[in-house]
Amino acid sequence: MRMVSLRNVNFGYGDVPCLEQANVDIFFGEFVTISGQNGAAKTTMLKLMLGLLKPWSGTVELARRNAGGGKLAIGYVPQQIAAFNGAFPSTVTEFVRSGRHARGSWLRRLDQEDRRMTEDAIRQVGMWEFRHRKIGELSGGQKQKVCIARALAQEADLLVLDEPTTGMDQESRLGFYRLLQAQVKDYGRTVVMVTHNLTEMAEYLDRCITLERKEDGGWKCCTTTSCSGHFAPVG
Amino acid sequence: MLHYDFMQRAFCAGGIIALIASALGVYLMLRRQALMADMLSHVSLAGVAAGIYLHIDPTLTGFIAAVAGAVAVEYVRRAYKTYSEMSVAIIMVGGLSTAVILMSLARATNKSFTSYLFGSVVAVNRTELLLMGAVALVGGAFFYFMRRPLYQMTFDEETAKTNGLPVKWISLGFSVITGMIVAASIPIVGVLLVSSLIVLPAALAIRIAPSFAAALVISMGIGLAGVFSGLAASYQLSTPPGGTIAFVLLVLLVAGIGIRKATYKIRKLL
Repeated sequence: MRMVSLRNVNFGYGDVPCLEQANVDIFFGEFVTISGQNGAAKTTMLKLMLGLLKPWSGTVELARRNAGGGKLAIGYVPQQIAAFNGAFPSTVTEFVRSGRHARGSWLRRLDQEDRRMTEDAIRQVGMWEFRHRKIGELSGGQKQKVCIARALAQEADLLVLDEPTTGMDQESRLGFYRLLQAQVKDYGRTVVMVTHNLTEMAEYLDRCITLERKEDGGWKCCTTTSCSGHFAPVG
Repeated sequence: MLHYDFMQRAFCAGGIIALIASALGVYLMLRRQALMADMLSHVSLAGVAAGIYLHIDPTLTGFIAAVAGAVAVEYVRRAYKTYSEMSVAIIMVGGLSTAVILMSLARATNKSFTSYLFGSVVAVNRTELLLMGAVALVGGAFFYFMRRPLYQMTFDEETAKTNGLPVKWISLGFSVITGMIVAASIPIVGVLLVSSLIVLPAALAIRIAPSFAAALVISMGIGLAGVFSGLAASYQLSTPPGGTIAFVLLVLLVAGIGIRKATYKIRKLL
């Protein structure tokens, strides 16, 4: 079953196109990465998938329901989120718990289950001892972990992460890839992640989407590849 | 001092506005819209001048102008996404230039603008008090029921959108509430100092609060303390209430930051 589908999508900023005839399918329960050089429209593609940007032409379809028939929950961690307002007066727990607000009614009272999921998410990213700290006081890598914890606490059906390992050391990165793999394998979630560390995380992935520059100019084309290195152009 | 009817009304009006304006301030500061209060107060002044010139209740026209300005800023903000602060400058210029022209025309009516520019909380009448109460009720309900969506949006609008929140509408609602609170605050401290009620308590609360919820409570506490002590000082010293309240709030901010820094240094030494 398709989670996200891009068909003949064209998009650009101003008059300058940056994504041409992109065709991508991402299925339920897949762990997929998007990679490419700087300026290759990786973030743009994520935002198109999420409906945050509207394509010039072509269609973007995002599933509305999860596999169980409930409303699809999306956990999104934007690229620049770790550079958030340093003065934001929120504790790590308060911030991660806000991921639970998006489940069900925004006015519902948070219960024991919400507390447990919040605590689990903080533990999973290794931030338990910092749970009472203000997020503005954390380092870049720690902030990134907290943002990821919020997406995990949300129990999202689709996790969309834009370069989430920026600022993390290697040990944390590898632990994080395993964590995401477990989200896919154990809970059937779908993970779409922009990364520059393709080699490092190849063994955890199902598929990767590579954005490449065309030979005839500044346009980008889109190719998908299995992680065994099998290229199959679809753009 | 509290046996005077006008002082009772002043404390009542000041208390109501202090609570709601300082809560609003926390969201405005974190959304990087601290100047919005200033901008809307200037737009409101244009409404006041129009009201005087057209012989309509200036409080009402000022209120309408502030709300209209808030809606306009939201639309201009969307048009200048990358430089959203530009919307504040554009609307402020529009509001202030209209105000200057209308004030010049309205001068023929021999009405003074001093109370609108600097506030006259001791001269708050029953209608203004009722208006403030109504604004506080609507604003309070908005902040209570929207506290979670506002938290998400304040942190990151894109994430809030992917969580299914109608960010556009909530943001518009927030702007309208801001316009209403600014307009209701003008009788307390006046157009020129209205941002003191909104920004100063929040500025200190954000620095010292251990959590987001605490920031809201602390901001309201500082706002209340500033307004009450400012009013009392104004009565004792026979100084203008608006300016005294703003000055007390500024003293609280400077003292609060100073104490925080000193405490931090002492802790470091120990």
